[in-house]
Amino acid sequence: MIVPMEHLLVLATLLFVLGFSCVLVRRNLILILIGVEIMINAVGLVFIGAAALWQQVDGQIMVLLLMAITAAEVAIALALVVHLHQRKQSIDVGLFDEMRG
Amino acid sequence: MATLLVLILLLPLAGGVVNACFGNRLPRPVPVFIATGSVIGSFLACVGSVTAAAGDGYRLTLFTWLQSGNFTADVGLLFDPLAAVMALMVTGVASLIHLYAAGYMEEDPDQTRFFALLNLFVFAMLTIVLADNLLLLFLGWEGVGFCSYGLIGFWYSKKENADAGRKAFIVTRIGDLFFAAALLWLFALFGTIGIEVINGRAGELAGTTTVTLLALLLLLGACGKSAQLPLMTWLPDAMAGPTPVSALIHAATMVTAGVYLLCRLFPLVSLSPLAMAAIALVGVATALYAATCALAQHEIKRVLAYSTMSQVGYMFLAVGLGSVSAAMFHLITHAFFKALLFMTAGCLINLAGHENDIRRMGGMRQRSQAVFWLFSAGLVCLAGAPLTSGFFSKDLILATAFAKGDLFHQGLYGLGVLTAALTSFYCFRLAYLVFGGDFRGEELPHAPHALMLWPLLPLAVLGLGAGLLNLPHLLGGHSWLSGWLAREEDILHLSLDTEYLLVATAVGVFVLGWLAAHLRYRRFREHEPRGLRQFLLQGWNFDALFARVLVRPFRAAGRFCSHGIETGVIEGLLAGCAATCVSWGQRLRTLADGRVNHYLYGLLWGMLLIVGWFLLRAVVS
Amino acid sequence: MTATLIFYLLGAVALVTTALAIIQRNPVYAVIYLVKSIFALALIFYLLGAPLVAALQVIVYAGAIMVLFLFVIMMLEITPVSARKSSAPGWLSWTPVVLVALVLAVMTLLLIGLDPVAEQGIPRWHATPRDFGYALFNEYALAVKIISFQLSFAAVGAFHIGLTERRRARMEKDS
Repeated sequence: MIVPMEHLLVLATLLFVLGFSCVLVRRNLILILIGVEIMINAVGLVFIGAAALWQQVDGQIMVLLLMAITAAEVAIALALVVHLHQRKQSIDVGLFDEMRG
Repeated sequence: MATLLVLILLLPLAGGVVNACFGNRLPRPVPVFIATGSVIGSFLACVGSVTAAAGDGYRLTLFTWLQSGNFTADVGLLFDPLAAVMALMVTGVASLIHLYAAGYMEEDPDQTRFFALLNLFVFAMLTIVLADNLLLLFLGWEGVGFCSYGLIGFWYSKKENADAGRKAFIVTRIGDLFFAAALLWLFALFGTIGIEVINGRAGELAGTTTVTLLALLLLLGACGKSAQLPLMTWLPDAMAGPTPVSALIHAATMVTAGVYLLCRLFPLVSLSPLAMAAIALVGVATALYAATCALAQHEIKRVLAYSTMSQVGYMFLAVGLGSVSAAMFHLITHAFFKALLFMTAGCLINLAGHENDIRRMGGMRQRSQAVFWLFSAGLVCLAGAPLTSGFFSKDLILATAFAKGDLFHQGLYGLGVLTAALTSFYCFRLAYLVFGGDFRGEELPHAPHALMLWPLLPLAVLGLGAGLLNLPHLLGGHSWLSGWLAREEDILHLSLDTEYLLVATAVGVFVLGWLAAHLRYRRFREHEPRGLRQFLLQGWNFDALFARVLVRPFRAAGRFCSHGIETGVIEGLLAGCAATCVSWGQRLRTLADGRVNHYLYGLLWGMLLIVGWFLLRAVVS
Repeated sequence: MTATLIFYLLGAVALVTTALAIIQRNPVYAVIYLVKSIFALALIFYLLGAPLVAALQVIVYAGAIMVLFLFVIMMLEITPVSARKSSAPGWLSWTPVVLVALVLAVMTLLLIGLDPVAEQGIPRWHATPRDFGYALFNEYALAVKIISFQLSFAAVGAFHIGLTERRRARMEKDS
């Protein structure tokens, strides 16, 4: 036994909450995206832990798929960031409130 | 016999329909021939079938028109003495008026429409006359209303004419409403609308309030059609129509439909003494009112319109006195001489260069002797000159009132005599203004068409001589009309002294009116219509009164509904709902502030709620 | 025993670097700290018997995604976002704090408190790249294809979004 599952889950939770608070609090678009990456990483950690716990390779495959999706997401998101920056010369999310009701 | 009877109705209908549908495609005089020919054919059919009407009359059911439950309305004809007399009069006068109209409307570009409407009118009027049930009668009743509307506003490009047509239609419609109510009530009571059945079973209702109310409803219906108080304001304005229309519809036939209706349902109406008194009162009040109004009118046709109203008032009085034959007698004589008067008035207007105002006439005798004699014949009949038909028929009514003996009827008699004096006065006023002195207008004469003169001759003869129809015994007559109508009880049996007294009064009143008119109007004097004269010219300001009492409150109610209820309450309510929604929307809108992280808060709160719920359940279990 | 020690060590490194990453005002520093965190996580993956995933974590995350971030940051010449007075009502500014606390509590409860497997130890085990590849291209072949499509869509989408107006007009004229 390397470590109890509990501890791995605690680590993943803490990472997730860190990323989550980053998303909530930050106004810089890039930092918000970084927060999202952190949360995805924390999820991946749980997948890997679960794969090891049950000695099944599926969890690891999930992480791989997760990475691919993340890559796609980041590509689009960063393209949007560039686009938005072109429009307002800023990436403060507070400025992009044209959808305000 | 049945064929002839059907032809009476069918010929004018066919003529009207053909003219309405194809008239404009036919060469010019053909529609006139069709129209005139069909009415003359109808008259001949009437003459041919008149023997069938004797005694109990002739019944003919053509087909069932409507059937619903126990309600059945047939298209059926009832050709009894009353209907026969009326039908003969209608078709006869209508034939002559059609001939006259052929001349009168010769140059009018719309004569096809005119004749189509005129034929349809004759058809509708005959439907009233011949109908054996009230619904068919009502159909004709509405039909004449429609044709009257279309013909009053015949020259619709002038707004006054169109307005006059509308006014006539709406005012008579008020009366029709009451008639329709009476019709429905009668059906509810008797389960049938057959006129004979209703008359036969009317006795079941004797002495009840129901019959009084029914009779009053019928009276109001008749008032609308016959321009009696209080629904009389439309008739003077209806003179906006062409003169043949005034002669046919607003003098001879349609306006007497109310009298005919009351005579038709006389067994029912006569059951209520109160309603009879009301009818008599309405009649005499209208007679007096219209006679006073006629004193001050300037337009020749308006004078005649008021005199029509006044004479129809006499007929109502006769019905109210219980004398159907007196009413019908006056109806028929009046139809003759009033049609004559109207049509001669049309000639006079032409002779004066299309001048309607008697203040700008005068000296018309020089322009046409024939018209002078014809118009004079009509006027003496109207004024009640001794031995003319108007004298006999009016005298019969007044004598009937006198013979009743009690104070109420003596009062009616007094008012009737007063009206007769006024009638004589305004007739001779008209004569002096039109024929006396020199011509006061500027227009050149426009000679009337020959067709406009010849049909007047038979009317003049009839007008002067129709008194023979019901000549009283006093003068060697046999009261033929009363006998024909099987109303022997209408024949008066007065002492010779009384008879002579009444005749002397009538003659005296006539002479009095003539003398007064002679003194006053022998020389023309222009008067500004002021004070009493203005009051009478405006028909006692009834139009203004109705405008104030009915139209203005109606408008105010409309405005209240539109502004108060509609705008205030309903729209306010809706606007309030909308405003509430909007304000809530505005409040909720701030939640969607365009901030991504605020949306995330919402998402997460929701997620927490769901997860929290599962957690709670897990903890509890 | 050594592995356990390394796990805690790496866990601490990951937490610290992540925390440092999210408090940076300058996004470049944030990305650098995040790369460190990702390295630490990659090692943990290796420790938990996923060598291939660990390698991919380094290659894809640190090598591709984070580099992409850096490219964008440098391309845009980003000035640090200045702190602004929030226009949101007062209660809204407390919302993130409360939310973070609640999410932490709920996840702790859910993952650790109530999960029966949480107390089990993670055994020493590892999946060879061969096993991994075999499973990936057999059982998950469809997923692989879908993900491939996903990636190509993303590429097209990014290309489309990235076009400037001027270039878009020019391209439309050419075609």
